[in-house]
Amino acid sequence: MSAEALQQALAALGIHGSVEARGALAILSLEGDAAPFRDPELRARLVAIASEHDFTNLALEVNHPPGEGAALHRD
Amino acid sequence: MDETLETGLAARARGKEEALASWLRERSPVLLGFSGGVDSAYLGCVAVQTLGPEKVLAVIGRSPSYPAAQWATAREVAERVGLPVLEIDTHEMDDPRYAANPTNRCYFCKSELWTLLGRVAAERGFPTILDGGNADDRTDWRPGAKAANEHSVRSPLAEVGLTKAEIRYLSRASGLPTWSKPSSPCLSSRLPYGTPVTAPRLRQVERAEEALRELGVLGDLRVRHHGDLARVELDQRELDEWLEPARLAALAAAVADAGFRRVAVDLRGFRSGSLNVLGGVSAG
Repeated sequence: MSAEALQQALAALGIHGSVEARGALAILSLEGDAAPFRDPELRARLVAIASEHDFTNLALEVNHPPGEGAALHRD
Repeated sequence: MDETLETGLAARARGKEEALASWLRERSPVLLGFSGGVDSAYLGCVAVQTLGPEKVLAVIGRSPSYPAAQWATAREVAERVGLPVLEIDTHEMDDPRYAANPTNRCYFCKSELWTLLGRVAAERGFPTILDGGNADDRTDWRPGAKAANEHSVRSPLAEVGLTKAEIRYLSRASGLPTWSKPSSPCLSSRLPYGTPVTAPRLRQVERAEEALRELGVLGDLRVRHHGDLARVELDQRELDEWLEPARLAALAAAVADAGFRRVAVDLRGFRSGSLNVLGGVSAG
């Protein structure tokens, strides 16, 4: 499985962002907003593509606004 | 649901419920490992209705891996149906074999639980010990079932062939509040195999899930603990709602407040045993 190959496959569909692999989990950090992902067909398609790249799970990372949430906020 | 299908389900379920009552009468009195989940709540209800409260004892095992909300539900259900309850503390976290979180982690937890319940059963004169395992559970990866077998624990719901759907149907018909309750396995199931089970990690998961419930998340929900990252699994219908940007930001903030540096939402949605899949474990 390759995060880079999955990232390229998603970009070909117009989904731009970076993909990080943690074992069989792919974490997608999106450049745009997540609204299009409300479409279940799109989600299913993306999960299927992740599966073709041997990832069992595809998760969308959410960047929460500074000042909210954990004290350990990411810079 | 289609009326014919519902009638078929009802007829099958009722027949199995009668078989369950007969099963219980033949093995009375019974001691039940009771979590307050869909299955054990239903089994406790049928047992007390069939045998009477003096012939049934439901035992709750309390530990950091048992969610506080589940404990409250267990007590509420027991009180509602007149089920006698005994609460005991379990110490599976003190067992290094459990705390190391191997793929058969549940075996060590259940071994301790059934040992303790076996003592209670012997002291109080209960020849039969029950769990809430149902017919569907036999297809899943459940090393805890091995411990149950070793301690001669019976699973009457499975033995009479009752499936989860049938148990939910019968629970609803009996007025049990658990009929629509999502399944809620122990909090340790949110940690990938090999990640040590610690009380702070379990508390982190519990706080995150509680916060999401308070926000209004419905249905099945799991916050999977991947170190600094929380992976949130929601039902498909909930995903449709919570991927709206403003709601997504609120979700992420709530989970981050529980102490996670990064938050991600699983696009596949809720999947029972998803960490089994990620860890390459199957029922086999």
